[in-house]
Amino acid sequence: MKRVIPFILYLLLIAAHQVILRDITAVYTANINLTALMVLTVAVYKPELVAAWFGFAAGLVLAAGSPDLLGWHALWLTGLGTVAFHAREKLNLDSLYARLLLVVSGVMVHNLLVLITSFRTVDFWYSLVTAALPGAVYTTLIAWLFFLFKEGHITWAKVRALF
Amino acid sequence: MTNRKSGLSYKSWRTVQFATVLVFILALILNLPAVNSFVGGAIITSAYTPFEKIRTAVISVAAESDTIRILHESLAGMSDRLAALEEAERENVRLRSVLGFEEPWGYHLLPARVIAVTGEQAPVSAIINRGFKDSLLVNQPVINQIGLVGRIQEVMPGYAKVQLLTDPLNRVAARVASSREMGIIRYLPSEGMILDDFPNQGDIAVGDTVLSSGLGGIYPPGLKIGVVSQVRRPENRPYSRINLQPVVNFRTLEELFILLGEGP
Repeated sequence: MKRVIPFILYLLLIAAHQVILRDITAVYTANINLTALMVLTVAVYKPELVAAWFGFAAGLVLAAGSPDLLGWHALWLTGLGTVAFHAREKLNLDSLYARLLLVVSGVMVHNLLVLITSFRTVDFWYSLVTAALPGAVYTTLIAWLFFLFKEGHITWAKVRALF
Repeated sequence: MTNRKSGLSYKSWRTVQFATVLVFILALILNLPAVNSFVGGAIITSAYTPFEKIRTAVISVAAESDTIRILHESLAGMSDRLAALEEAERENVRLRSVLGFEEPWGYHLLPARVIAVTGEQAPVSAIINRGFKDSLLVNQPVINQIGLVGRIQEVMPGYAKVQLLTDPLNRVAARVASSREMGIIRYLPSEGMILDDFPNQGDIAVGDTVLSSGLGGIYPPGLKIGVVSQVRRPENRPYSRINLQPVVNFRTLEELFILLGEGP
């Protein structure tokens, strides 16, 4: 059970992002795709089944407001987690830039899939240019900071020393 | 490698797990209203609602904060208006008391408003909003509805300077109202208003009113100046030392009257 608690917290963070943080962190039309970022991060650091189940749960949380799309979102994120895990297994992701390449591709693919899923309600090309692409770049920037923190390149002590 | 709980090989265990996930996903993709609504509702209730409540509370606090700010601004505006109304009420009381005031015989009154008062410890002069173009001349007496205030010292086109009785350089010939004995009114910063040059044997007592005598040619007779507050009669000196309490409060001057005319 203890092993599940962090993932529940991650899911709550996704919910908090959807409800509160999404609007606050938006830069013009670009939003952080935190769900995809977290699924990709779990896939990079955790086993395959964990990545798949976490992707499934994250899809449910992401689409809770649109019950008719629950299955599709769960499918996209389960697939994203599984594919990212296999990419990690097949590719050398020791380099930070390789991981960022995985993140930007993963987020972009997820954004595209979400656009395709909701094609009836959005203008695909307009949303691709104004939301999906900048959103993927923005999310990758956040991922870059996250990896720098996680690998100790940026620490609180260093940040404090700046001020 | 086998799973500790199920005893299955990892490959079989992995297959079972993926099959389970896919079954769930398929069930959700089929979009059975009961299933999807239940799952979506459960997630919204457990994961979204607490954050929605926080968001609503924050928005509510921000809205309340805006309301409080608007109320504060409104209150500040109302406070200013209330202060202005209170000032108007006080002015109304003063002006009503002025209405019953009669000018000395042979003079007519020109009302003026004090626009500045100068002086270090006590006010010694006042600037009024009347001047040369209002026919003001130097040495014209200035009074208010209570008594003598001073005289015009300088005249400019639009305003004039009044030398108050509290100016140590100002002298007024005075008379005790009851005994008609005379002296000179002076103001000493250390002692306040005094009646100087009053004979030691003169008839005066605490509480007597002191008026202008009319001698000296500046002030008309009979204007109230002060009330005797202390009488000292030194044996080795020919004059008494008499302290007065001025009838006019020189710290609250607002409306004054200049006495125009030649007098009786």
